[in-house]
Amino acid sequence: MLASAHSATLLGVEGRPVRVEVHVSAGLPGFTVVGLPDTTCREARDRVRAALLSSSLTWPLKRVTVNLAPPGLRKVGAGLDLAIAAALLAASGQVPAPSLADRAFVGELGLDGSVRHVPGALPMIAALVAREVVVAEGCAVEAQVVGRHVVRPVATLADAVGALRGERDWPPPPAPVAAPPQPRGPDLADVRGQPVARFAVEVAAAGGHHLLLVGPPGAGKTMLARRVPGLLPDLDDDQAMEATGIHSAAGLPLPSGGLVRRPPFRAPHHGASAVSLVGGGSHVLTPGEVSLAHHGILFLDELGEFDPSVLDSLRQPLEEGIIRVARLTARVALPARILLVAAMNPCPCGEGTVPGACRCSTAARGRYARRLSGPLVDRFDLRVEVGRPDVPELLSTASGEPTAAVAARVARVRGLAPGRGTTCNARLAARQLDEVATLEDEAARALERSLRAGRLTGRGLGGVRRVARTVADLAGHEGPLGVEHVSTALALRAEPTFLGGRAA
Amino acid sequence: MSPDHLPLEAYATALASLPAMGPARLAALLGTVPPDVAWRRLVRARPGGEHDPGQLLGLGPGEDDRVRRALGPAGAALAGRWRTAAASLDVAALWRRTADLGMTVTRHGAAGYPAPLVDDVEPPAVAFHVGDPAVLDAPKVAVVGTRRCSATGRSVAAELGRDLATAGVVVVSGLASGIDGAAHRGALAAEAAPPVGVVGSGLDVVYPADHQDLWQQVPARGLLLSEAPPGSPPERWRFPARNRIIAALADVVVVVESHRRGGALHTVDEADRRATDVFAVPGSVRNPAAAGTNDLLAEGRPPACSADDVLVALGLGAGRRQGVADRRPAPGPDDASVLEHVGWQPTSLDQLALRAGRDLPTLAPALERLCQGGWVDHSGGWYQRVGPVPGVR
Repeated sequence: MLASAHSATLLGVEGRPVRVEVHVSAGLPGFTVVGLPDTTCREARDRVRAALLSSSLTWPLKRVTVNLAPPGLRKVGAGLDLAIAAALLAASGQVPAPSLADRAFVGELGLDGSVRHVPGALPMIAALVAREVVVAEGCAVEAQVVGRHVVRPVATLADAVGALRGERDWPPPPAPVAAPPQPRGPDLADVRGQPVARFAVEVAAAGGHHLLLVGPPGAGKTMLARRVPGLLPDLDDDQAMEATGIHSAAGLPLPSGGLVRRPPFRAPHHGASAVSLVGGGSHVLTPGEVSLAHHGILFLDELGEFDPSVLDSLRQPLEEGIIRVARLTARVALPARILLVAAMNPCPCGEGTVPGACRCSTAARGRYARRLSGPLVDRFDLRVEVGRPDVPELLSTASGEPTAAVAARVARVRGLAPGRGTTCNARLAARQLDEVATLEDEAARALERSLRAGRLTGRGLGGVRRVARTVADLAGHEGPLGVEHVSTALALRAEPTFLGGRAA
Repeated sequence: MSPDHLPLEAYATALASLPAMGPARLAALLGTVPPDVAWRRLVRARPGGEHDPGQLLGLGPGEDDRVRRALGPAGAALAGRWRTAAASLDVAALWRRTADLGMTVTRHGAAGYPAPLVDDVEPPAVAFHVGDPAVLDAPKVAVVGTRRCSATGRSVAAELGRDLATAGVVVVSGLASGIDGAAHRGALAAEAAPPVGVVGSGLDVVYPADHQDLWQQVPARGLLLSEAPPGSPPERWRFPARNRIIAALADVVVVVESHRRGGALHTVDEADRRATDVFAVPGSVRNPAAAGTNDLLAEGRPPACSADDVLVALGLGAGRRQGVADRRPAPGPDDASVLEHVGWQPTSLDQLALRAGRDLPTLAPALERLCQGGWVDHSGGWYQRVGPVPGVR
């Protein structure tokens, strides 16, 4: 007897449909899974057998062959368990074979017959074309987010079998919960003083410019960085769907309501490996921190402590917004459109921003500076030195401007970008710069002086013009960029002391 | 002249080139045995790992105490290393190279040796120089300080160097980055009294590398001096030794900026050994590069607020102070209101924005213009007022 059921597996952050074929024939009792299953998937045999027996169903004492089609695609994880069980039951005549038509199954089986949530349910369900999907209760929210299917959440295998046999009704899908507004995180009002760093954070959020904060320990770099996501507007539907899919694929908990609506904030530790940052892995191609921060913020604290080769692996994703990971058996594209915020000390002793205060030897400073490659530093269009706030500022009770007020300006500037054919000013192409970031004469002269003085490279010129556009947008200035916008952009691009190589 | 027609200075140069040959060891050696004799004995000794220094140099029982003390507990191994190094060193070739580089070699106690060093408590046994040693006859002031200085410090050092040289004083310094280099640049800019540089490396080893121009101009206009033989790298231990020569040459030492610990304070110790006056330039309490100089003032040393203070101590009276023509374009009223808030100490952009009560888009263009006009120096996110004589870098 032959039966088949629809399901899906995960490749990177995308679902791929899989057809589960089960053939039950006379012969020595045995169970074979073919079609490139990984170890977890191959072990489905033992889980399915125990789940069947626990659910008072019969394990056929015959020769059973399970084929997972297409055979060239590697199948990962336990999400195919439910589909294998359903097809096996149909092939052995325990549920009517027509009941599997136009239904797909996604779920892991427990030995007690329960149906469990699997990571990546959202992209997997999104890849299914069947009218109905039978999923674990825990996946119901993700299935509803996809919104194209009739969702049949089941708690146990027995529930599913009863409904497939027509003996009982499908359990009702959970009522959609009104998603509560997701919190914006810590408020910018907590930051005392530091007008320049605050402004840099605002420009970074408004224009999507990568931001490097350099300062001594205790200056509040991390505090500032954690307030960047709160300034960004909510993700639109498409962005939310992409971000939610990635979070689902990585097995991260999703917010109530299912969709990731707030820009994600990811802050990997500086011990992170290249794979954990950009994604990959030998056969399970999992998204890395860069992809988890898609449409949000990747915050690298203590940038100077990261392995230089790890940092350099970020260069391509920063440029293209996508990571292409290739393995022998598969090639996947992981989305990675991020706003990179990084913080670091100016030198190993941490005091190097204040001229003359650094205790490091020239050689030690050189070693520290070499950990950051020039091309990576070039990606940061905003580089500000964050000093420790003065004592009166720290003790002052006057709070700074709150996140809500700054976020309103940011949202207004971000709203201008689609009219320029881009998503934010940082992604304006060179050709677009000549249309939307033209320069007044005096502004052009200021740039020319910086270029001649060697303070600015040709590559940095585009960055300065993009930042200047954002500065002008924030000031509500339309038309060509004035000298005040260009000077501000230049001032926000301070050559960090240690990179200048000059001690004073 | 020795039998192979090389002067004693050639052998002294060769001995100075041996590994770990510090000033004390060289002085002990040359104070005991003539250089050509010492060298021949070294070369002829049996090859091997260790040597008794007394036997190696053929010293009598009474003579070898000083050498033995200078060599220290590892003397036998060190003597062995000297023996090995000497075997592979061609004295004639080294001597030709020294001459080709235009260096003059003088020995303590022989003719031509720099006069101010002859009666020093710890004179270099061998001195190398390029330039004219006669410039040392004039009054000499050492202007020294930290390599990691502030822009103000650099500017003050340059002003001192210029004003002292204008008053006919020879400015002695170490040609290092920071204060030393600035003092020399100021002295050269005056085009008056010649400068004297005392360096730690060999005279043909430019250190720091970006002071190539100073290494050419100082000997061309004055004197460049070292006790390190040609080719010596700037080893750490050579700098305290160099500081001692600066202190020995100077009639007065002026410290412009020094951290609480630093090489400039070592120069002060050496000056104290020679009872040479030490002046300190007062600095801001917020400037870590002025902590050491302010400590010197607290010890009761006289302050040097201008070249006049130093000139009076030299008995030269207040020099003819040169009126400084400020050629910078006057800032506009808006820029002037920003300039008020830029201190003479490094000020961060944050502090400026708070003090001036402006946001970045109104502050940045004004600063840009002030930097352009030469009123403000900008380095690594810090802004600082500068005087009409900017610290030439």
